[in-house]
Amino acid sequence: MDASEVEFLAEKETVTIIPNFSLDKIYLIGGDLGPFNPSLPVDVPVWLALNLKQRQKCRIVPPAWMDVEKLEEIRDLERKEDTFTPVPSPYYMELTKLLLNYASDNIPKADEIRTLVKDIWDTRIAKLRLSADSFISQLEAHAKLDNLTLMEINTIRTFLLDSLNCMYKLRSNLQPGSSKGQFKDF
Amino acid sequence: MPCERKPMRYGHSEGHTEVCFDESGKFIVTCGNDGDVRIWEGLDDDDPKFITVGEKAYSLALKKNKLVTASSNNTVQIHTFPDGEPDGILTRFTTNATHVTFNSSGSRVAAGSSDFMVKVVEVSDSSQQKTLRGHEAPVLSVSFDPKDDFLASASCDGSVVVWNIEEQSQLISWPLLQKTNDVSNAKSLCRLAWQPGAAKFLAVPVETKVHLYVRGSWDHVSSLSDDLLTQLINVVAWSPCGQYLAVGSVGGSLTVWDVNSKLCVERQKHEKGFTVCGLAWHPSGSQLAYTDTEGCLGLLDGLRTSTSTTTTTKQAAVKKPARDYDDLFDDDDDDRLIDEGLSDTNSPVKKPVGRDDDDDDDDDFLMPATGRARNRGAILDDEHSLDTGSLKLGRDKFGDDTGSVVVPAAAPLQPLRPVYEGPMPTPPQKAFQPGSTPAHLTHRFMMWNSVGIVRDYNDEQDNAIDVEFHDTAVHHAMHLTNSLGHTIADLSQEAVLLACPSTDELASKLQCLHFSSWDTNKEWMVDMPQGEDVRALCLGQGWVAVATSTLMLRLFSIGGVQREIFSLPGNVVCMVAHGEQLLIVYHRAPGFDGEQALGVQLLQFGQRKRQLINGEPLPLSLKSYLSWLGFTAEGTPCYVDSDGVVRMLNRSLGNTWTPVCNTRETCKSKSDHYWVVGIHENPQQLRCIPCKGSRYPPTLPRPAVAILPFKLPLCQTSTEKGQMEEQFCRSVLFHNHFSFLSSSGYEIDEDAQSHSQKEQQELLMKMFALSCKLEREFRCVELADLMTQNVVTLAIRYASRSRRLALAQRLSEIALEKANQIQKEEEEEEEPEYSNVRQPSGYGQSEVTGGRHSSRLNQEEEQGKELREEDGQEMETEEAAETRKRVNPFAKEAVSPVMQTLTPIGKVGRANPFKVLGSGKPSSSSGQPRVTNILDNMTSSRKSAPLGGPAGKPNKGPVLKPLAPRPKTKTQSTLLQLTGTKASSKKTQENTQPAADQQKQAEVPPPASPADNTENKRPKTGFQFWMEENRKSITADHPGLEETDIIKEAMGRFRTLSAEERLSWTERAKGQTGDAEDLKKRKRAGGGAENENGQAEADENSAKKKKSLDPSSKLSAFAFNKN
Repeated sequence: MDASEVEFLAEKETVTIIPNFSLDKIYLIGGDLGPFNPSLPVDVPVWLALNLKQRQKCRIVPPAWMDVEKLEEIRDLERKEDTFTPVPSPYYMELTKLLLNYASDNIPKADEIRTLVKDIWDTRIAKLRLSADSFISQLEAHAKLDNLTLMEINTIRTFLLDSLNCMYKLRSNLQPGSSKGQFKDF
Repeated sequence: MPCERKPMRYGHSEGHTEVCFDESGKFIVTCGNDGDVRIWEGLDDDDPKFITVGEKAYSLALKKNKLVTASSNNTVQIHTFPDGEPDGILTRFTTNATHVTFNSSGSRVAAGSSDFMVKVVEVSDSSQQKTLRGHEAPVLSVSFDPKDDFLASASCDGSVVVWNIEEQSQLISWPLLQKTNDVSNAKSLCRLAWQPGAAKFLAVPVETKVHLYVRGSWDHVSSLSDDLLTQLINVVAWSPCGQYLAVGSVGGSLTVWDVNSKLCVERQKHEKGFTVCGLAWHPSGSQLAYTDTEGCLGLLDGLRTSTSTTTTTKQAAVKKPARDYDDLFDDDDDDRLIDEGLSDTNSPVKKPVGRDDDDDDDDDFLMPATGRARNRGAILDDEHSLDTGSLKLGRDKFGDDTGSVVVPAAAPLQPLRPVYEGPMPTPPQKAFQPGSTPAHLTHRFMMWNSVGIVRDYNDEQDNAIDVEFHDTAVHHAMHLTNSLGHTIADLSQEAVLLACPSTDELASKLQCLHFSSWDTNKEWMVDMPQGEDVRALCLGQGWVAVATSTLMLRLFSIGGVQREIFSLPGNVVCMVAHGEQLLIVYHRAPGFDGEQALGVQLLQFGQRKRQLINGEPLPLSLKSYLSWLGFTAEGTPCYVDSDGVVRMLNRSLGNTWTPVCNTRETCKSKSDHYWVVGIHENPQQLRCIPCKGSRYPPTLPRPAVAILPFKLPLCQTSTEKGQMEEQFCRSVLFHNHFSFLSSSGYEIDEDAQSHSQKEQQELLMKMFALSCKLEREFRCVELADLMTQNVVTLAIRYASRSRRLALAQRLSEIALEKANQIQKEEEEEEEPEYSNVRQPSGYGQSEVTGGRHSSRLNQEEEQGKELREEDGQEMETEEAAETRKRVNPFAKEAVSPVMQTLTPIGKVGRANPFKVLGSGKPSSSSGQPRVTNILDNMTSSRKSAPLGGPAGKPNKGPVLKPLAPRPKTKTQSTLLQLTGTKASSKKTQENTQPAADQQKQAEVPPPASPADNTENKRPKTGFQFWMEENRKSITADHPGLEETDIIKEAMGRFRTLSAEERLSWTERAKGQTGDAEDLKKRKRAGGGAENENGQAEADENSAKKKKSLDPSSKLSAFAFNKN
């Protein structure tokens, strides 16, 4: 799975916009959207919000969690805890990137938010690598990781699976005689 | 040492403030949290000069025309005084400085900072700095030794340190204070002070005492304390002569000691009890200026420190025991009372006690919700202060008369009241634009309405107006420079309207940016006459209304033509417009005890100009004022008061005002408010901006609109019954605008209207069912009264199914009454329309040529037909099989297959005479005893009665009863005659004028005879339809034929038609039948008796069919949904 595909999925998330045009309900396969009244907030998927934003048809209201104070809390908690803490949105990274890239003028303190989310991301990825490392070094058969987002899983999937395969091959070559016993371990 | 406590002045925004006098004593200089230094020429200076030194100013010092300030950009700056020119930066810290002070000669400045350092800087050469390190927490205060050798400083680490400046070393350190981590958390500011002149003592405020340390030996020689001083001392200040020491405490007490005698010579209390954080003596020693943490400036005048020491001390000594005595008495009273008592004894020319109380009361009246001083200032007029000022004057005189220097101990308990003790008039609220924030703000909304936003930026550099449209399709955003100083604005789809108050040279101006104009000149401007100020304005559709200070209302066209002028009955409060309506709210009379007495006028322009509401009082919540006025998007006036109650005009109840929402109920905290920006009736939306802790939103960050639901404050809305009642009332109220709009000639959304009616009827039915469950049959009947005819039939069915026979019976009466009523109404309504609808020939043609109207009705007819069939089938299944059997033989008689369903026996028995009648006219109609909807249901209810009830009532009762109360104008026998005459009178009088027809119709008494009623049960047959269609051609072919001959001829022709054609006519006839239509027929019977022209009659029938089917089909749709 590609990162862009994950981003595509994230675009289904809803976000509040304030349109500056008026339009009746629109009926789409994914559900009905609208009606759009100028100056009245309305929830739309991110893809539509960005499209409208790029055409200067709306203002985007940042999600509630996209706030410096809240993100600081999350970041501190994430640094404090050894395990993964729940994230504000399953697509926090993708949404931050999308919204800040296209609608940074509607989001107060966009730069700080970008830094904070990046901090959270880095912390989490570091944890993920660490746990992957201990997983392999301790020759564990299974591990459970809570609160991972799709994007995070996606970043490590290819590498982890390939390396596990590789190691398996190496190990089975090392001990050709007792390969069956090895199987049991894994 | 009696002194006068002058009233407080508002100086800065809330937060830390400091005060000092200039060396001449001419100016009082203050600094505050707003970053300004204000230079007051005495306390009464209404327009103090100000110098902005930064975002916040923490401390200031003034000497030798140099003003040194510590500001939030971590610098200590110099400004010239009194010009306020920046004169460079003295020093910098890594964080803000907390206190700055000059030495006695003015050559050096000491500054303490939150970064734990104290710096001593030469004013002439800022590079010569001495840094004193050693404190372990932010420095609270610094003070120079008058002889310039030492410097004392206090810090949050709890220590008070004396430094040797030259050596930059600590000389001595006392751990006297409580430790804190920041200046903002420190309980006391611990401002130290050296005795000027002799420089003998260093005064250090320690909790509630002042410690005096001797210079040199650094011994703690004595403490100054006072029994009444129970709160921490914040600041100390020596009088210029060095004899007196003034202190200000956290609780607002101001105390002055004579240092030699260590006696307290003056006690005063801050009038509101706020923390005193700045204290300064006048150079002459006669005045003491103080500031508090709320940004107010106060002054004690008449301190006689210059008089000889002995007398003062004597006086003080004499007074001291007396006060102690007072204290004994007043022990149980609160501080405030004691204080006031004391100040009374001290100063006869003092505000009486009653004054303070009244002040507070006033506050309560005006701001019941918040009581915030700032908000009050925002809302109330200048007139307010004028008012109270004049009142005070009177009272002061009063105080002069009665107050004496020696007041007995009981004096504080005898408040000096003004002579008049009745209700006090409320200051009238100021004129405002709904949807604007107060004018004193530098960034504010001038208007926020459903069209867009007008913002005003009034900075030092820039004075501009931004206009932004919610819908960018209306117009692009505009940016205007506000050179004229506009303060009020309105915005519509057509134009932006701005107005400015008059100045000394310029008249008040009205400026209109008519951006929707098609010519190139998009702007016009009008000057108001001399002495006339624009107070309120609004934009209607194609016109502009302006209310002025001279109680004048001026009406302009949108292009700038002056159209109308009239006088208003009172000072305008605000004004709004919608389409052709203008709503004005004005002061009707002075209000009393916090109430506003407002009146309202609603005018309508356009074709016929009229006044819909003329000067009725506007109901407001108790002790509140108007905060928003507007129209809903649909054009119903509504307003919001300061208690957050939204009220809407109820046009259907004689223009009364109904509360529809209380925005405060949804607020989380008491100080939160909703700022209303718009109201929509369909969908029901209250659009507003949530404001946390204020009444108004700030312009930045851009506030987001929230939507609140409406809720009528009915009783017991927690119960199901209450909820449904509330929903019903609300639905009715919020759909009043349909009737208003249609009556004033606007197009209305018929779908929405029918939807709302359906919703209401559904609610009624639910409420009916609930009342049934609760065994409240009387209530059921009341509810049924509100239902439309077809829903009543449902109700009847419900009642009969739940075995409430008495109820069903009463309901059937109601149903009949309703049917008659509808008919009457329609008769009345029909007449004016009649000539329009009239078509040269019968139904078919009118159907073709009737255009939109008839085609729509056609659809509805079809719908109606389907639904009726559904209905019928359902009825059938409901009824017992036996009924069916009985019906069947009858159905054989009937020609039409549709009819089979609903002809129960009872009816057959009872309807016999009519059957005869029907069969007596076999040629003209097939005489099917087609039952109307009501009667269907009535019979069904009667049907179920024998099924459920113990004793079946044979052929009597329910059916008869509703008929009985009807006025029996015609008997059955006359009916026969009638039909006879009708047949014979159907002579073709083609030339009859429609007008004549109308007259005749008008003469027709409301036909309501039971006979007619039953006769109506005969539905139209296919043949009749065909004949109506073709009558004209027949008469054209055979002019001069008698009516009977025509029918014969027609019969002949009809028979020649093919079977399919005949069938189609029969089908159509089926679709045509319906109760309402039957009622028409009944009318036709009457009309026929009056020699009605046959053709006209046919037209009329078709027209009525159209009308009558309209509601019934809707409701049968409802019935269908219900089941």
